[in-house]
Amino acid sequence: MSDYAIIGKRMPRVDSRAKVMGKAKFTADLKLPGMLVGKIKRSPYAHARILNIDTSKAEALPGVKSVVTGKDTEGVKWGVFAYTRDQEFIQTQKVRYIGDEVAGVAAVDEETALKALDLIEVTYEELPAVFDSMEAMASETELIHGDFPNNINVHVNIDTGNVDENFKKAHYIREDTFVAPEESYFQAEPYAIVARFDHEDCLEIWCPNGGPHMKSKPLSNAFKIPLHKVKVRKIAIGGAFGGRSEICPVDYICALLAKKTKKPVRIQFTREENTIATRQGHAMITTHKTGVDKDGRVLARETTCYMDGGAYSSTGPIATSVPFLSMEQAYRMGSVRYNGYRIYTNKPIRGMIRTHGRGFAAGLDTQLDMIAEHIGIDPVEIRLRNSRQPGEYTSTKSYVDSCAMDETIHKAVEKSRFKEKWGKLPPLHGIGIGTNSVQTGFPMGIRGGSQSFIKFNEDGEATVMSGVVDNGQGNDNMLVQIAAEELGLLPEDIHLVSADTETTSSDPGSYSQVSTFVGGHAVKIAAQNCRAKLFKVASKVLKVSPDKLVAQNRLIFVRDDPEKSIPIKKVVRISLLNFNSVNAEGGYWPKVDMKREWVKNPYGQMCEAFSFGTTIVEVKVDPNTGQVEVLEATAAQDVGYALNPLVLEGQFEGSIAMGGQGGMLTEYHEWNGGRCINPTMLDYKLPLACDMPPKINNIIVESVDPKGPYGAKEAGMSIAMSAAQAYSAAVSNAIGVYMDSFPLTPDKILAAIKSKES
Amino acid sequence: MRLPRFEYIEPINFEGALDLLYIHKDNAKVLAGGTDLLVRMKKGLLKPKIIISLKALKELSYIKKDDSYIKIGARTSIADIIASDLIKKEACALFEACEKIGAVTIQHYRGTIGGNILQDNRCIHYNQSAFHRSGRQPCHKDGGKICYARDASDRCNSTCQSDGATALMALGANITLVRKGTERIIDLDNFYTTDGIMPFAMESNELLKEIVIPIQGGKSSYKRLAYRSAIDYPIVSAGVFLKSSDTSKNEIEDARIVVGAIARAPIFLAKASSFLKGKKFNDISAFKKAADISMDNASTFAVHNVGSTLEYRCAMVSEMVFQALKEAAIVTQE
Ligand SMILES: Cc1cc2nc3c(=O)[nH]c(=O)nc-3n(C[C@H](O)[C@H](O)[C@H](O)COP(=O)(O)OP(=O)(O)OC[C@H]3O[C@@H](n4cnc5c(N)ncnc54)[C@H](O)[C@@H]3O)c2cc1C
Ligand code: SF4
Repeated sequence: MSDYAIIGKRMPRVDSRAKVMGKAKFTADLKLPGMLVGKIKRSPYAHARILNIDTSKAEALPGVKSVVTGKDTEGVKWGVFAYTRDQEFIQTQKVRYIGDEVAGVAAVDEETALKALDLIEVTYEELPAVFDSMEAMASETELIHGDFPNNINVHVNIDTGNVDENFKKAHYIREDTFVAPEESYFQAEPYAIVARFDHEDCLEIWCPNGGPHMKSKPLSNAFKIPLHKVKVRKIAIGGAFGGRSEICPVDYICALLAKKTKKPVRIQFTREENTIATRQGHAMITTHKTGVDKDGRVLARETTCYMDGGAYSSTGPIATSVPFLSMEQAYRMGSVRYNGYRIYTNKPIRGMIRTHGRGFAAGLDTQLDMIAEHIGIDPVEIRLRNSRQPGEYTSTKSYVDSCAMDETIHKAVEKSRFKEKWGKLPPLHGIGIGTNSVQTGFPMGIRGGSQSFIKFNEDGEATVMSGVVDNGQGNDNMLVQIAAEELGLLPEDIHLVSADTETTSSDPGSYSQVSTFVGGHAVKIAAQNCRAKLFKVASKVLKVSPDKLVAQNRLIFVRDDPEKSIPIKKVVRISLLNFNSVNAEGGYWPKVDMKREWVKNPYGQMCEAFSFGTTIVEVKVDPNTGQVEVLEATAAQDVGYALNPLVLEGQFEGSIAMGGQGGMLTEYHEWNGGRCINPTMLDYKLPLACDMPPKINNIIVESVDPKGPYGAKEAGMSIAMSAAQAYSAAVSNAIGVYMDSFPLTPDKILAAIKSKES
Repeated sequence: MRLPRFEYIEPINFEGALDLLYIHKDNAKVLAGGTDLLVRMKKGLLKPKIIISLKALKELSYIKKDDSYIKIGARTSIADIIASDLIKKEACALFEACEKIGAVTIQHYRGTIGGNILQDNRCIHYNQSAFHRSGRQPCHKDGGKICYARDASDRCNSTCQSDGATALMALGANITLVRKGTERIIDLDNFYTTDGIMPFAMESNELLKEIVIPIQGGKSSYKRLAYRSAIDYPIVSAGVFLKSSDTSKNEIEDARIVVGAIARAPIFLAKASSFLKGKKFNDISAFKKAADISMDNASTFAVHNVGSTLEYRCAMVSEMVFQALKEAAIVTQE
């Protein structure tokens, strides 16, 4: 066991109490003096030219303070990358999906704002629309974006070479295609934003976000104001899952309305808007072709994936890559060729999602199981023969330092008694395994590193400043734990100032699993620097050299003679009286290959560490209804080092809910043309607590990464993804049919059972 | 989403409520728990000028035994029904149906049995926001001339997803409707129209007062299917009632099979029901046959408008009927 005082301990999160008691304030709870209500006018057509927008009646309505349209935006466009700037904040020429923004209104109350929306008259000329990526590529009707032929938005091509040669050497080759429709994040908190311009023309913003600095920079560009004038404030956030990592038109519109009216404006999305007008997960059609040697080792793989990207680019290049990257990290592939195509369609915009490519990953694992069956080994064995090992390079040339993939497999197998159960379960019972890996960050250029600042207060407590945002996963707690550990304080002595762009330095944001690895690391270094200052002063008082000192439990004491001690509070006061500063800063920049780029150069060091996870699930299928009962789930993840096992277990269980129970059994969107017909929580079948498996075994595996803070890497996401794979494998195993269309709803399962019988 | 504006009136007695309905007729809507009505109003599906709340009418909240009848006041909460031993014993199908309605929060907080029977039919193309329904032609139920659920349909095919109604119809229940000056009793079998727009034969000035279930000495059961274990309307359901003959305990004298969530109303399947008469309680193959007849007869009414797939829902009619029959037979034998 470690000799940490706070790190590694089961500690309830610092934010839980306020949330459980209903006291935490979310954006929709904010009320500012004179605040107006903003609403968005959206396109009811999937593809149409805007002929005219008449706002005069809306403007004349008493209580309406401002109406904005594309004319007010000065033509600024949004896109995460310079080469993907394809979205006007408010459309001026045409609309590309049902929900596209055409105008914004600010009024004294919601009723008036809604009335005003009805009074805005937009004349459209409807255009033919496409709702399927294959159709969109072949379509001869007007392109969704004129400058993207065949409606292909992004093409990621990765080729390690030798693929064709290695296929020739293969003992056995399979090619299979897997499909999955789009899914939604269903963050517990629907999107909301409050914006105001203060007396110095600074823009202040409160909204759920995946990184405040990722919001401030594009907004400063859009409004052509200096960066320091955009102040994204901290607020409680009810979930992100990758869907809130960039700015979206409503951020701009809300700020624009605030600017025009000189009043604070709040826009609060309905559940339907949160589903259709933020981001969704991509629908995918994936073909994996795999060639193995006689032992089942993969010699060559070719994967082609068509992703329905919806109307705009969003984080397209990233989302087109990550499903593949996760798999190339998890498995050795000999040689591989990947072609990922993100296709524009007239559907809502797709972005990054925590369960990146559920059909992609489940397909790859299903195919491995098929191959294992063919060559006569079990699913565990084929994974062990292809699993990533420490000290290797991935196919795209990232060095993998710490890696306990095999240990996650072994431990999950042992705990679930996979070997005893495989092939011996009663009819319609099944067990399945999935393994996956995710990165801790990716090259993000100027915002790739995080910096922290710590100040001691006279009372011996400390204030920690960090750009890291907590959008539900426990980042605030992580920062507090690290600071308390390093400073020798208790968690309640640490006061966080975080996720505020005015007071904190830049940070990559809390997506791509980078918060602990980079943001937490920066806090650790800042705290160590701060502690060094205290030790310098304490060493004079205690008359020992600083390297003999330890800080713990609000005391600084001599390691070999703990009786010799001094309270930290006293050291702070002595420092100040002797003109010594008790503040410090620290920063962390992961050593990644800055030349790596998603499309142009998808090779080189991606990030410094990768997490690895294995999920095993045991199910029982009702042959009469096709319904699946999950008996037990076992999740094992190499998290590097567990900073707080309690939080990790929460992440694991949430991951099983999102990736497995929901992602593989019930969640998908249904459409009527471009209309999403299940946008609400009633119709979109998120699992409830009572739907969850009765037993979940959480296994924390620690490879102690040499670069991660305390050896920590990432928690949860490789479970979310491997859970999808395990659920599908278990169902396939139970019914004796390899499933290729996800999620595995009862109708599909029943049809598979019937077709097998006949 | 916002509720449209309305005037709210809370009559203090039953007569007062009837008077208000008499005066306001179509302009008014009755509010019991509001868990169906308010959701529809928020979506802009209806905009009543006046809401007449039954909140103060405690006299409409009761479950009692009267000779060989169970009488339930229209305003009785779903939670009270679930808690009633009388219902569990004599009208088990209703108990099982109520247990599945929404979630505990809907059952104990607001939802009533009257509101459950009288909830409007549903359809994934119709129970949507005003925004969703804009930019396309309105469907029949929305005042237009087309149907998104069935091509070229000249009428609305919305689905009755009431759990309570299906169970009550299987139990042979009738309801008492009152309007100022008159009262009428109608069997649930005859209460439904074949019109998805206005699914039941009820006047706008009528109030549902009571639900009456005959105690016939038989056993009933209710089974339903949904994606989730709670907060999920049924995608198909079945309520059955079986009664043994006085002379031979192992012989079915009377059977009622009703399937729900598949058509514009719960459907009483006369052919499947009468097929079971005279069959033995342990005749599993007879149950299977009755279930298949049910599926054949009910499927013709089904359209794809409440989730899952049509094929699956139709196939599951047979399964739900079969499960319900088996369960009713087992408890009869005990
Ligand atoms: C999330 C959610 C899930 C649900 N799941 C289910 C489910 O699984 N199964 C199911 O069956 N239902 C479900 N419901 C629907 C509804 O909650 C229940 O049917 C409930 O029992 C309705 O009762 P209520 O008192 O709230 O009805 P209300 O909304 O008050 O009324 C419904 C209708 O009946 C009329 N009405 C009510 N009482 C009278 C009366 N005495 N006389 C005349 N007219 C009257 C109203 O005017 C209105 O038109 C669900 C609802 C929600 C919101
Ligand atoms: S069944 Fe047809 S007409 Fe009826 S509500 Fe649905 S779409 Fe409208």
